[in-house]
Amino acid sequence: MTDVGFFASYILWRDPMIVALLAASLCAFLGVFIVLKRVVFVSAALSQLSGVGVALFFWLASVIGLDAHHPPWFANPIWFALAFALGGSALFSLNLGHRRLAGESVIGLAYLCAASVVLVILNSPRIAQEAHEVNDLLYGNAVAVPPAQIIIMAVTAAVVFAVHAIFAKELMFVAFDPDMARTLGYRTKAWNLLLFLTIGGAISVATRAIGALPVFGFMIIPPAAALLLASRIRAVFALSVGIALASAALGYYVSFALSLPTGASMVLVAALFLVPGLANLARGGR
Amino acid sequence: MDIIELHGVRVGYGKKPLLPPIDLSLGPGAFLGVVGPNGSGKTTLIRTMIGLLAPVAGEVRYPRGPRPAFGYVPQKGDIDLSFPLTAVEIVLMGRYPRIGRGRRPAAADRAAALRALAEVGVADLAPHAFHELSGGQRQRVLLARALAGEPEVLVLDEPTTGMDLPAERALLDQIAQFAEKGIAVLMVSHQLAAVANYAHDLCIVDRERQAVEFGPVEQVLTPARLTQLYGRPVAVETTRGYTTVFVADPPAGDGSPCTRRTSGAYPAVKP
Repeated sequence: MTDVGFFASYILWRDPMIVALLAASLCAFLGVFIVLKRVVFVSAALSQLSGVGVALFFWLASVIGLDAHHPPWFANPIWFALAFALGGSALFSLNLGHRRLAGESVIGLAYLCAASVVLVILNSPRIAQEAHEVNDLLYGNAVAVPPAQIIIMAVTAAVVFAVHAIFAKELMFVAFDPDMARTLGYRTKAWNLLLFLTIGGAISVATRAIGALPVFGFMIIPPAAALLLASRIRAVFALSVGIALASAALGYYVSFALSLPTGASMVLVAALFLVPGLANLARGGR
Repeated sequence: MDIIELHGVRVGYGKKPLLPPIDLSLGPGAFLGVVGPNGSGKTTLIRTMIGLLAPVAGEVRYPRGPRPAFGYVPQKGDIDLSFPLTAVEIVLMGRYPRIGRGRRPAAADRAAALRALAEVGVADLAPHAFHELSGGQRQRVLLARALAGEPEVLVLDEPTTGMDLPAERALLDQIAQFAEKGIAVLMVSHQLAAVANYAHDLCIVDRERQAVEFGPVEQVLTPARLTQLYGRPVAVETTRGYTTVFVADPPAGDGSPCTRRTSGAYPAVKP
């Protein structure tokens, strides 16, 4: 595939590219909190929990005889995915953990259980023949994107960015020093819940749009690369989003040109942005 | 009128009390030092006093209103250095309750943050990344953050940990000045002598021995009470206005002289 071929076939990749750019920027922005709070597996666990919601929807639809491919708006799988992701977010916002079982282990356990439940449901005889379709719905494919997906992704991104723009100082303060925030009268549990709900909502929608692997990748790699390179918090957020946008666009091009899997290509391109920061560390930088 | 009162308060986590019931009060300009061995319940006590933990029993009262304005300086290790924040961004956090939810800091808030940094002598560090500062500078920035909120009570949890003697002395001098200005100071330290030279009142806690001693420094800091509290012979000496406290081990019986283990010492110059 030549450059001309890529740009000439613009109509093929325009919508998936828009969705990928929206999802990548949103994940990379929220990922700064995830990396700083050292809860990197939260996004993987929430992807799986959101998947449980979708799988459960198809199973329930088969049980009650609902047409799962043309459900009424109030019984759409996206609500199930959102409900499970937001429920998981609320749980993780409580900083579950104990001196004998770290919070990160709890998140790992949630991931394992959710992934197993999805597999069990998908292999149920009731929906086995639809498993491929359900899998696409669960984890997206970043290639075929219906127009409604763009709207859902754009609205989600707008809401999440708006919440973070309005409450930027509160969310950062509570993430940085919850004890001090509590002494000043902040309801840290409520602020933490708000942060995790934005993360859960974004992951649920983005996973369905571009897939679990790129969502996990964009949540971790661009923020990590930005934290290695920038020394001011605003610069970290800006750089993280910039790296994610560049990775999504370049990754999509590489995938298109070399016929590689789209999500994996995006993640690999994003990983290249880690090189300057790691090289700086190797040279004895900060 | 007192700012904080503890009435028969038992502190602990969950339903398990760590210490016997405690009655004490803290008024404006007071300087209370909370002292005890590592793991003795000091931090649990101050976290209860400032409302971060609910008491297992008894009552914490704030007679002046619903909740005093606290300025909190956490233990050194409690601050996450991976956040790329500058000194002035951290100090501004102390102003957040005054700024209001969902609103951005105004020029007046930035000016107040810079004033607080100047007050603790580190105005020049405002644009520097917090994680690049020395331990002493970080403590001063955190003290500035506590002051930026114009607190009624300044709460310091092991503020001098990891500092060299001159830096420790300078910081404690500064904290004492805030008490003179009418701010109540509540300071936790495992260094008995460090606190004894600055605090007006002492609260010595020892979870292992289930002991709590509270009162003016000159009453609590006596060899007899400390010996009883720690279960070992403890001596208190004052030299040129500075007090040192040390464990006075009895002679070994082999003719060697009595040994002393000081809990801290200060340059023999009083300002």
